[in-house]
Amino acid sequence: MNNSAIRNWLGFSTLALMLAALFMVFDYVPPEAEQGIAQLIFYFHVPLAWVAFASFGLVAIAGIFYLWLGDRLWDDLGYAAAETGMVFCTLVIVTGSIWAKPIWGTWWTWDSRLTTTFILWLMYGGYLMLRASADDTPQTARFAAVLGVVAALDVPIVIASVRLWRTIHPAVLVTKQGGHGLEDPRMVATLLVSLAAFTALWAWLLWLRFKQLRTRSRMRALAVRIAFASAAASDGR
Amino acid sequence: MSGFAAVLRKDLRLELRSGESTLALLALSMLVLVVLVFALDAARVRSLDAAAGALWVAMVFAGMLGANRALLAERDNSAIRGLLLSPLDPATLFAAKLAAALIFMAVAEVGAVILMVLFFNLDFDASLARLAPILALGAIGFSALATLLSAITGRTRGGDMLLPILAVPIFVPALIAGVKASAAALAGAPLASMGDWLKIMIAFDVLFVTAGYLLFEHVVGEDG
Repeated sequence: MNNSAIRNWLGFSTLALMLAALFMVFDYVPPEAEQGIAQLIFYFHVPLAWVAFASFGLVAIAGIFYLWLGDRLWDDLGYAAAETGMVFCTLVIVTGSIWAKPIWGTWWTWDSRLTTTFILWLMYGGYLMLRASADDTPQTARFAAVLGVVAALDVPIVIASVRLWRTIHPAVLVTKQGGHGLEDPRMVATLLVSLAAFTALWAWLLWLRFKQLRTRSRMRALAVRIAFASAAASDGR
Repeated sequence: MSGFAAVLRKDLRLELRSGESTLALLALSMLVLVVLVFALDAARVRSLDAAAGALWVAMVFAGMLGANRALLAERDNSAIRGLLLSPLDPATLFAAKLAAALIFMAVAEVGAVILMVLFFNLDFDASLARLAPILALGAIGFSALATLLSAITGRTRGGDMLLPILAVPIFVPALIAGVKASAAALAGAPLASMGDWLKIMIAFDVLFVTAGYLLFEHVVGEDG
């Protein structure tokens, strides 16, 4: 498959899955009894969180491969993953806040998962600021790769420390004596379709940004070659 | 003389003759503590939590300044290039820079603890001895992180601003553990009762000393 085929395929599957997910969330799934309609945002919040964390994992993996192999491809992948991850991570915090206001009675609380997500958001905000404040050179790519790896290594310790600090976040929903909170099979189905839809959206955005950055890298390399060639030509004259 | 000792001795001699870093660190620690005394109005009430928190704020800000200074000295006249051209491997260079940063931080922390006791109406007693291992663990982790990251931020536009933005979120676990353990130590709790917090700090230290040791070559090298 060539680039535009992959792009179209990802785009159309995102569209189809997203329409299905919207239909299921707003028309098919029964809202949870205690929380009512506010609970429906859960079907966006959880898939968003999953893709946000997946992107940050991808930043670290791309960083390791870049430091190991030195191919610009990995740097472009890491950059694309960090940018998309940042967007989704912001949305996780926003959707979480919208849910927390009616249910917890507050927009924000220093619960362990909220704090962990926020710290992750800060770390990758720093990563993007680093990329913005340095020229696009192999050196910057190495810096970003090291930072991506270091930040990912830090995540388990952040989770451990913040959990020890405090936690009130619901495990799935409000856990009632061992149940996982999703009593109705329609809830599970909706969550799965929604997960697929957001994963497709993520893959699509990631692909678009990645190909764009690849093109930019190749154009830079070409510009360098042209400069060398014209310098050689003027030397020969 | 090994490369490690040579670089460390150079940095210490530079510091002994100029006194720049430690003085700046001490001055900044003092100012942070003064600001927090007013901000928290802690002078009237004997607040151990506020004292522990203030101590760590002072440590983070002073540590950041120290890391920036250490790199600035190498950046002037491209002195870092000389170090890179010497037959010294980057990991050893990292270890030497880390040791120097740690020594400067230790001096500043001793000063900060004395000031904390005075400013927050505490006593010079055994609880300060229990504070020592906690502060040492925090300083090791922070120096390792700041030494690694300042090699990155030192060579970007607006690098001095970028260092705290990168370092503070990553330092959060050690900060949480350090503040909690310090407050407990000041309240007279034995070290054994804060095992979980100490474990987190040890994990952080091991991770970042190792990461810095392995990754330093990727951030300190020049473009090929």
